[in-house]
Amino acid sequence: MEIERRILKATWGYNGNLEPLYEFEDENDAFLVTFDLPRVSKENIEINTTEGSVEVIAKMSNAVCWDRWGIVQKEITFQSFRKQIRLPEPIEPEKAHASFKNGILRITLPKIRRKVQIAIE
Amino acid sequence: MRDKTDLLEDMEEVVRIVEEEGVKYTNPIVIEGLPDVGLVGTIAASYIVEKLDFKEIGHIESDLFPPVMVIHNGNLKDPFRIYSAEDGSVVVVLSEVAVPPKAVYPLTTALAEWFSKITVKNQVISIKGLPVKNRMDIENPEVFGIGNNEGAVAELKAKQMDLLEEGFIAGTYAMLLRECSKKKISAISLLAQCYPVYPDPGAAAAAIETVKKFVPSLAVDVSELLENAEEIKLKARDLMQQTALSASEMQKDMEQDMPIMYQ
Repeated sequence: MEIERRILKATWGYNGNLEPLYEFEDENDAFLVTFDLPRVSKENIEINTTEGSVEVIAKMSNAVCWDRWGIVQKEITFQSFRKQIRLPEPIEPEKAHASFKNGILRITLPKIRRKVQIAIE
Repeated sequence: MRDKTDLLEDMEEVVRIVEEEGVKYTNPIVIEGLPDVGLVGTIAASYIVEKLDFKEIGHIESDLFPPVMVIHNGNLKDPFRIYSAEDGSVVVVLSEVAVPPKAVYPLTTALAEWFSKITVKNQVISIKGLPVKNRMDIENPEVFGIGNNEGAVAELKAKQMDLLEEGFIAGTYAMLLRECSKKKISAISLLAQCYPVYPDPGAAAAAIETVKKFVPSLAVDVSELLENAEEIKLKARDLMQQTALSASEMQKDMEQDMPIMYQ
């Protein structure tokens, strides 16, 4: 398990979007991506995939407002999570599937495979 | 030529445990909740300290720690802090920043030395997480135990705990088990099934329930922890990231490996 490679820098922004914590795994035939989405319900999650990327936009049930947050500013509010991940290999978007349980979104992204069996001489 | 004793003294000096004056201990049980997978220990230890209104009695300093201080309610604090119950019977060690890999050896050596000084006899309890891939499908995380001597293992068995039988363990709790062994201090680690890289208040609640078996005086109701789980997850994001990055350098990956020998 290579945590350093699998967890990438999650950040906050001034635009009301919070970057979710996520894990990215290469499982040979597919990429498996999970996102930690507290305060989110299934109905408020939008997932968009292309052959080379996956994007998650998830609206929180109630905005997070930290009124004693950080030293840069006194207050910050977030309404949603947003993250786009570029994939290292092309996938088949129409075969992708997702599940959401206990605040964790799991997306399976099958890779495009052109398998050729090689005979041993 | 410098001998091993010099080296040990240097290591202890690298990490300084600073106590407030006049603190009294009564053969305390120590609960260690330093950041690790799922931040199980940190979340659990912070909750215990807050709910039982433990008093801050000291902090841990080191040049190996990141040059960071934390501000709470306008007060400047060290991120590595020590708390105690009013009667000195329970001490909690926690941190709000990840432990840098270089600090693991001197920190655990200094802690074991300090535990010996404040006459911790029975025992040191590390609260940790056991990362599991299918955590999202587990409603009630199981808690497993590791003991650093026969007595500790016997106590785990007496409390009907499942033991980790084979495998590698890595990080502060692994070294703390060893350093406590050297000082003849009984130590156990309680590992709750958790998300590897997401803060896990559910696992922390399961761990606290298990700690209560070993420390009956710890009257903590975990319902508020579970109710506020989503808020805690949001607040713990940054520490979770720091910890996950630090973990790879601590050979945490090895916890998924199989050892070659059976003895």
